[in-house]
Amino acid sequence: MSFRHGLAGSPVRLVSSRDPASIRFGDQLIAVLPRLRRFARGLAGSVSDADDLVQAACERALARQHQFQEGTRFDSWMFRIVQTIWIDLVRSRDVRKEEGDMPEERLGSDEPVRRVEARLALAEVRRAVDLLPPDQRTALLLVTVEGLSYKEAAEVVQVPVGTIMSRLARARMALQAQLEAGRGVGRSRTDAEAR
Amino acid sequence: MQRLGDDRLIAYLDGELETAQRREVEAWLDADPAARQQLAALADSTHLLRLAYDEVLHEALPDRLIAAARGETIEAQAPARILPFKGRAGARTVTSNRWWIALPAAASLFGLVVGGGAVYLGIAKLLPDNVAGKRPAVEAAAANGAWLDNAAGYFKLFVNAGDNPALDVAATGDPREALQKISQTLPQEGRLPELNLKPWGLSFRGAKLVVAEGRPAAELVYTTDNKAIGPLTLIIGSSKLPNISPTFDRRQDVNLLYWRHEGRAYALVGQAEIGYLWGIANDVAWQLDAI
Repeated sequence: MSFRHGLAGSPVRLVSSRDPASIRFGDQLIAVLPRLRRFARGLAGSVSDADDLVQAACERALARQHQFQEGTRFDSWMFRIVQTIWIDLVRSRDVRKEEGDMPEERLGSDEPVRRVEARLALAEVRRAVDLLPPDQRTALLLVTVEGLSYKEAAEVVQVPVGTIMSRLARARMALQAQLEAGRGVGRSRTDAEAR
Repeated sequence: MQRLGDDRLIAYLDGELETAQRREVEAWLDADPAARQQLAALADSTHLLRLAYDEVLHEALPDRLIAAARGETIEAQAPARILPFKGRAGARTVTSNRWWIALPAAASLFGLVVGGGAVYLGIAKLLPDNVAGKRPAVEAAAANGAWLDNAAGYFKLFVNAGDNPALDVAATGDPREALQKISQTLPQEGRLPELNLKPWGLSFRGAKLVVAEGRPAAELVYTTDNKAIGPLTLIIGSSKLPNISPTFDRRQDVNLLYWRHEGRAYALVGQAEIGYLWGIANDVAWQLDAI
């Protein structure tokens, strides 16, 4: 799909001179952008960091488009690029603390404001995801949110299926514990569905 | 009964177990209420997790990401002049106080609607022979010009009509019924599949029979409380012209994203920011397998 907009009235002007193959590749990329943004949002947490991540992934994918094998899943290939860039960032910035080293307030203790709005219930889930170690978070997002099979997720992360399975199990149990400690899954769900 | 691990329960929930393993887990669930409770809690948190991130799918795509995906650089220009969305109540006032503007506008639209097809069908005969080689491109451009102007005009009529838009089929009950009804008035190749834009907060109000590329088409009308998106129309018609990728245009201060695929022409029309139009077009294309 080629979003070849003339952009009259748009704040940007796009400057490009590309061959048809690159245009087709770009079309594929645009089609998966919403899912890449969702995956990146789960990994990076903030909107701007996530979009920076997706932008970097797009640039890398375009530079390496010859490496993509036709007939394989394009979305998985892109998830892998996003995940690789993010892991590099995490390692270079050392933003994550050791597993289990969680801030006190995240352990379900006093929250200053009562969360009564549905949106906040979902924000609570996202915060619980933010607390997971990077490898668990990646497995959780790929399988549970993006719907990849264990095998596909293992290929994205390049680890054995058993590793994905154990990371996923730890992530799911930790997430559940966080939610239950914070407010109770049942209540969170009710709030969220009231949106 | 042997107590299996949580990882087995999670794999069961994810549909990742072989038949024998699945039966083993089911036997465990039958025998152990605590396991059933744990499974329910896991299913609950899974559901919440998906909800927590699904809203990202319905956000406007940032221009910079569209540019990055297409390997393009962005040069800053004057900011977009997107019209502020007129609330329906406000629009009704405009209609009642400025009927003398609305009347000729409607009349000219009528001319376009009636004439659009004729322009499309007749233009080839008017072209001089020395441009015969370029004829298909010229025809396509002329057809685009006419029907996109119409599409923008239809949208403005709908917005100006306020709470009582003139619809051929109103979606009073089941939206599928309205879709089916309007579909029956279209040629066979133009029949409409089901389309759900609720995740964008868009409510289907009904449909109208219009003309696109000189052929009957359906204009689906949506409203929303989300002012960043505003009301939208989606025109779906049949087309004999070649496929084109989604293309942005702006007519009469209205944003349009139009494309053709496998014998169908589409136009998404509204005052929404272009990023939203991309996102919604992506969703429409996916649902209708249009691209």
